[in-house]
Amino acid sequence: MDTKIVKKQQPKYINPYFGGILLGLLLLAAFFIAGRGLSASGAVKLLVVTVVDKVAPAHAEGNAYYSKFIPADGSSPLYNWLIFGAIGTFFGGMLSGAIFGRLKKLRVEHSPKISARTRLIAAGAGGILFGIGSQFGRGCSSGAALSGTASLSFGGLIVMALMFGIGYVFAWFFRKLWI
Amino acid sequence: MNKNYLFLAILMILLAAGLLLVPERQNYQQIKPEKLMWDITQTSRFVTVDQVAQMIIEGDPTLELIDIRPAKDFEAFSLTNAINIPLDSLMKPDYQDYLGIEDMNVVFYGNSDIKADQAWVISKRMGYNSIYVMQGGLNCWIRKIIQPVEPEESASQEEFDLYQFRKGACAFFTGTKVEAPDAGKTGIKVVKRKKGTAVAGGC
Amino acid sequence: MGPLIPQEIITGQWDFVIALLIGGAFGFILEASGFSSSRNIAGVFYGYNFVVLRVFFTAMIVAMVGLLYFSYFGWIDLDLVFVLPTYLNSMLFGGFLMGLGFVIGGFCPGTSYTAVAIGKIDGIVFATGFLIGVFLFAEGFPFYEDFYTANDLGNITIGEMFGISNEWIAFLFVVVAIVAFYVTWLIEKRVRKNMTEYKFE
Repeated sequence: MDTKIVKKQQPKYINPYFGGILLGLLLLAAFFIAGRGLSASGAVKLLVVTVVDKVAPAHAEGNAYYSKFIPADGSSPLYNWLIFGAIGTFFGGMLSGAIFGRLKKLRVEHSPKISARTRLIAAGAGGILFGIGSQFGRGCSSGAALSGTASLSFGGLIVMALMFGIGYVFAWFFRKLWI
Repeated sequence: MNKNYLFLAILMILLAAGLLLVPERQNYQQIKPEKLMWDITQTSRFVTVDQVAQMIIEGDPTLELIDIRPAKDFEAFSLTNAINIPLDSLMKPDYQDYLGIEDMNVVFYGNSDIKADQAWVISKRMGYNSIYVMQGGLNCWIRKIIQPVEPEESASQEEFDLYQFRKGACAFFTGTKVEAPDAGKTGIKVVKRKKGTAVAGGC
Repeated sequence: MGPLIPQEIITGQWDFVIALLIGGAFGFILEASGFSSSRNIAGVFYGYNFVVLRVFFTAMIVAMVGLLYFSYFGWIDLDLVFVLPTYLNSMLFGGFLMGLGFVIGGFCPGTSYTAVAIGKIDGIVFATGFLIGVFLFAEGFPFYEDFYTANDLGNITIGEMFGISNEWIAFLFVVVAIVAFYVTWLIEKRVRKNMTEYKFE
């Protein structure tokens, strides 16, 4: 195999440590400016709250979880820092993809050992588990594990340790999905 | 490439180790000068000796009296259930537990206002809330509670009520027999204090 | 001085502009580091690609040490920085589910947004699943409301929990992270030698 071809196949990712330092400085900036870290799952939560509130307002009022996030002044839950952050994340990703040449037509990425269908089922199941888990954990990997631990929260440390730990525990059972 | 990583790793460890070497941050959350200025110019930090006497008599559980005079004076005479924290020891860590208790109203007193007021400013700077100063200090206490002066006959009913209260309080604190109060007036709980009563202050 | 928004040094509509910019930078860094690919991410569990661990731990120690220095220099009031409250039972369970979701789905919410942005269908499916998961949780909330708030430890920091200063905690994190970087570099080298079919997408 020609090494030149292998090189060409490797997409241009930035050095992970450089990316980590940038991300750390960004997190620091977020703490300095907003007093809170980065978040991804909060936006989806607010989106769900908004939709349920629109479709079935009485049901949303009666549920202690939805009603927690419906602003008392009647404004939309979508008019929130978290939503704008998530929109930014989407376009930031798109910009990077465009710059490094990864912004392409719709496709499924999967291990050669499994079909695209299997990959999509796994992705959906993983998403549902992650969705439920993030609400119990008070945030996802960015909100609880990364920002939480960086701001020295004990809860953040727990979520991070459990998330990676359980990932390793179950990795063997799902190895077909990846390798 | 590996050398660069080694350099970065050492740099990061040194930075983190630097955190261990810097002197410990102040534990006090100091308030801003503007805020302190505003608080100082308010008179709401003062409580009168009558209010303090009533709270002691009623056994108000939220009252925490702090005597800021030297220990010698404290032993000679102090108010009921007061704690002695001499002014110069106020910032000692041992005493911090007394100041920041939730739902407790700390009242400083000294011989006069001045030392107690200083204690108030220091505590305020250290970030404590719900702290007060007993106006007039113990001098005022003696003059008003222990040796109350009967008001003149032309005085208002309120002044007489206050006098009755003080007589009752005096009996409570000194153990002397109280004169039978006027008909319809019962000793201690007579005075229903209103805000801004003219007779309340005056020391 | 900081944090700026809780102290109302920055107010009004600028909030959302800043949120967009911070979010944008977040998405850019995630994508540029390779987090838009689930196979890159899942590599952390199989030893063939530790990019997640590298980026995640570097970001964490940089932010942690930086935050403590900021506090020391008086640039930021740590009391105003949000410390995630700890609800022990609920967070242990949440962490468990997320770990499982992570190894099955290969994304976390933030990275799935960037995967959607560059046209990955698996990213779209994961994000949709995530939305459904949040919905399911909220619908079932009355059944586990007590569990959700049980064992509330408040806004406790790691240092308070273990009775040592947070400066020491940060130092330990840095040491552990650097050791982890070295060990995983060795593992990755060995695993990749035996692996032929893995290529980046």
